[in-house]
Amino acid sequence: MDWQSLRLSLWLAVATALVLVPAGVLVGRWLARSTHPLKPIAEATLALPLILPPTVLGYYLLVALGGQSPVGQLYTRVAGHPLAFSFTGLLVASVIVNIPFAWIPTQRAFEAIPGDLYDAARSCGLSGARTLWRIELPLAWRGILSGLIMTVAHTLGEFGVVLMVGGSIPGETKTVAISIYDRVQAFDLQAAGSMSAILLAASLATLLATVWLTRTRRSASRT
Amino acid sequence: MLNVRLAQRSPIPLDVDLQCGPGELLALVGPSGSGKTSVLRAIAGLMPIAAGRVAIGDEVWLDSVLGIDVPAERRAVGIVFQHYALFPHLSALANVSLALPRGAAPETALRLLSGMQLDGLAARRPHELSGGQRQRVALARALARSPKLLLLDEAFSAVDQPTRQALYDELVKLRETVGIPIVMVTHDLREARLLADRLCILEAGATLQDGAPEVVLSRPRNAHVAALVGLRDIHTGVFHRSAGGESTARLRWGDADGIDLATVDKGRIDDGTPVRWVIAGEYVHLHLERPDGVNVVACVVERAHRLGDITTLACRSIAPPHALVHVELTTRQAREGGIAAQRAVFLRLDPQGIHIMPTRVRGA
Repeated sequence: MDWQSLRLSLWLAVATALVLVPAGVLVGRWLARSTHPLKPIAEATLALPLILPPTVLGYYLLVALGGQSPVGQLYTRVAGHPLAFSFTGLLVASVIVNIPFAWIPTQRAFEAIPGDLYDAARSCGLSGARTLWRIELPLAWRGILSGLIMTVAHTLGEFGVVLMVGGSIPGETKTVAISIYDRVQAFDLQAAGSMSAILLAASLATLLATVWLTRTRRSASRT
Repeated sequence: MLNVRLAQRSPIPLDVDLQCGPGELLALVGPSGSGKTSVLRAIAGLMPIAAGRVAIGDEVWLDSVLGIDVPAERRAVGIVFQHYALFPHLSALANVSLALPRGAAPETALRLLSGMQLDGLAARRPHELSGGQRQRVALARALARSPKLLLLDEAFSAVDQPTRQALYDELVKLRETVGIPIVMVTHDLREARLLADRLCILEAGATLQDGAPEVVLSRPRNAHVAALVGLRDIHTGVFHRSAGGESTARLRWGDADGIDLATVDKGRIDDGTPVRWVIAGEYVHLHLERPDGVNVVACVVERAHRLGDITTLACRSIAPPHALVHVELTTRQAREGGIAAQRAVFLRLDPQGIHIMPTRVRGA
C-alpha cells in the first residue's frame, strides 16, 4: 500500500476543489444568467475536458506549461524549477481537467433558481452580494456540493493527464492512480488491489452521494 | 403621485403615459401580451427602458434625458408577483425580515405578518402555506420596505374564488391604511372594476384609454377599446344632428331601414356620420309589456343562458337591423318573469347610456 501516493492524491484533490469550487460558483452563476451571444462558445470550451482524450489534453498542457513555453519559462524564473513535473504543474493540470465536473452541476443549480426570485430579491432591496449569500447559495448548495464531490472523486482517479504532465515522481507527482499502474507493472497485485479497492469505494460513494442529492432535490421540488 | 412615461420600440414596444395618486388604485388591463407586466417591471426598475420618465412625488427613479436610472434595489417599491416569488428556503418571517430596511426593528416583520392575519404561521416555509396565506406573506413582504408605491402583478390570479374575495377585502382595507399609489395588473375586468379607482387599457404596449372604470367600460374611446373591455354588442348606425340645435339627436340603428333612436347630441359629430355605438348593461331596461317613452325596441329572446345566479338573454330586434342585444338579469327575475327563448320582450335603451364612437370626428 503506497500511503504517500494516497496522501498526495488527497492533497491534490482538496487543492483542486479549493480552486475550482469558488471559481465554479462565479462562472456558473454568471453563465446561468448570461444571454451573451458568446455564451455557447464559452460553455463548449469549458466542457472540452469531458470529451478530449486525456493524452491530447495532457499533450497540450505539457506544451503550454513546459520549459519551451512562455508560461513555463516565466514560472521557472520565478520559482527556480520547471512547472511541468512539479506538484504545482500537476495542480494546474488537475484544475483544467476538472473544470466541467465542478462547473456543470453548479451552473445547472443556478439555472434552476426561478427568475422571479431574482426580481423579488432586487425589489426587497438586496444587493448582488446579499442575493448570492442569502438566496442563491442556499438554493444552489446541492449543485455546488455535487460539483465538489465529483471534482474530488475525479481527481483521485485521474491518470492520463496526470501522468503526462507530472510523470511519476514519488512524493511530488506520483498519485494513487499512477501508483496502482506501477504496482501492476511490478506484479505487486496485493498493493494494487488495496489501492484499487479504495478508489472503487470512493467512486461508489461519490455516485451514491450524487444520486442521493439529486433525489432529495427532486422530492423537495415536488413539495 | 406616480408619474410614468415610457416609450421604446424594442425589445418590447411600449408607449405608456399614466399617473396614480396617493391612495389611488390604478388597474392596468389588457389581453395577454399587451405589455401590462412589462410596464410594472419598468416602473420597478426590473427592466431597462430606452426612453421615459418614472417619478414618485419629487423623487425621480428614471429619466432617460437626464441619465437617471435608479437601480431596482434602491427604489422604494413593494411588489407582489403573480406566483408570489417567495424565497422557498426561508420561513414566512424570514421572507418578510429580509425585505426590512437595515436597522428596522426585528419585531416589525412579526407585526406585518400579524396585520395580514398570519399569526402562528411565521415559522412556516412557503410550501407549508395555502395559496391565500402565501399571498398574504407576499403582501407583508412588499410592505416591509415602507414602499412609496405598491405594484400587484396578477396578484389574485392563483387563488380560488373564496380566498380571492377575502383578499379583495384585505386590499380595500390596506388602501385605507397605507395611502400610497397602488398599480395593479389584471386581465380580469370584473376584478378591475371592483377594486380600481381608474382603469388603464393597454394593447401592444400602448395606452388606449384610461379613466374611471364606469367611464371606460360604458364610454370606450373606440370600437377596439369596446371589444377589449368585453362589450359584446358593438352596433353600427348613422348619426343625425337635431335640426333646431337641440340637445337630442337621432341615431339611425343599422341601415336606411333601421330603427331611429334618440340620443344625446354633444355637438362633436357631424350630421350623417356613420358611427359605431355601444350601450352599457345598466342603461338597457327589459320589459314584458311595451313601456312608455323613447327608444323602445321590440325583441324576441333568441337564447337564454343560465350561469348560476345570472341569466344572460340574447335578444334580437324584430324590426331591422335585427341586431342582437345581450341583457343580464338575475336567474330569479328570469324565472319569475317566465323569460325564456322565443319570448317576446321590449328593451328600452336609455338615451343617456348610448355611447357613440364616430369613424370621423369633426375637424379631424
